[in-house]
Amino acid sequence: MPQPRHRSRSKRRVQRKMPGGATKQKYVSRKLGVHKCASCGAKLKGIPRFGATKAKHTSKTKKRPERPFGGFLCASCARKRLKAEARSK
Amino acid sequence: MYEIGRLCVKIAGRDAGMKCLIIDVIDKNHVMIDGQTRRRKCNVRHLEPLGEVLKVTPNAPKTEIVRIFKTLSIDIKETKPKKVQARPKKVRKKKPKPVKKESKPAKKAVKEAKNAEAKEKPAVKPIKPKTESKTKAKEIKTKA
Repeated sequence: MPQPRHRSRSKRRVQRKMPGGATKQKYVSRKLGVHKCASCGAKLKGIPRFGATKAKHTSKTKKRPERPFGGFLCASCARKRLKAEARSK
Repeated sequence: MYEIGRLCVKIAGRDAGMKCLIIDVIDKNHVMIDGQTRRRKCNVRHLEPLGEVLKVTPNAPKTEIVRIFKTLSIDIKETKPKKVQARPKKVRKKKPKPVKKESKPAKKAVKEAKNAEAKEKPAVKPIKPKTESKTKAKEIKTKA
């Protein structure tokens, strides 16, 4: 029977083989969800899937693409928005 | 539509949203641009042309483009090129080698040398001459 703190499903159970040959169960934390485009909902690229604690130690350029609306809109939606702004002026 | 002097807005890339002028037409799909962006080749699909066409000489220098953009009240950031400097090479300090003292020959080495000499020369035992008294005593005994 697992310990009460391990009965939660927020951590996934993984079987790992030890150097001695025995298999043990490990409780591994789950990855965070994929970031999505604010307008169309497509999966955004260039954004790592880690939380605030790891994000503290990474630089700003490594967390999002170097482009206007990077990390907020996908590339195609950003293009459409810039085109619309240029045509409205 | 994409002729020399046409004012455009860049749509793609990290300099998207910046205004630029077409300086030269390379082929059907590529043009040379300059302005708020760097002077570079650009795909026509990454540009959104605006209504203005300005009088510019082909491959005009940066100073002329800055002057044209000032008349349109568009600011251009002037950047100086970085001087390429060679990386400083690390030089390791060489430590002076310690002077070795003359060591006494090891006892083992001396023994081994002696053994080697002994092996080379086999020990020759001196042959002792037989005494006459013993030989005569034997002959007398046998006769008797």
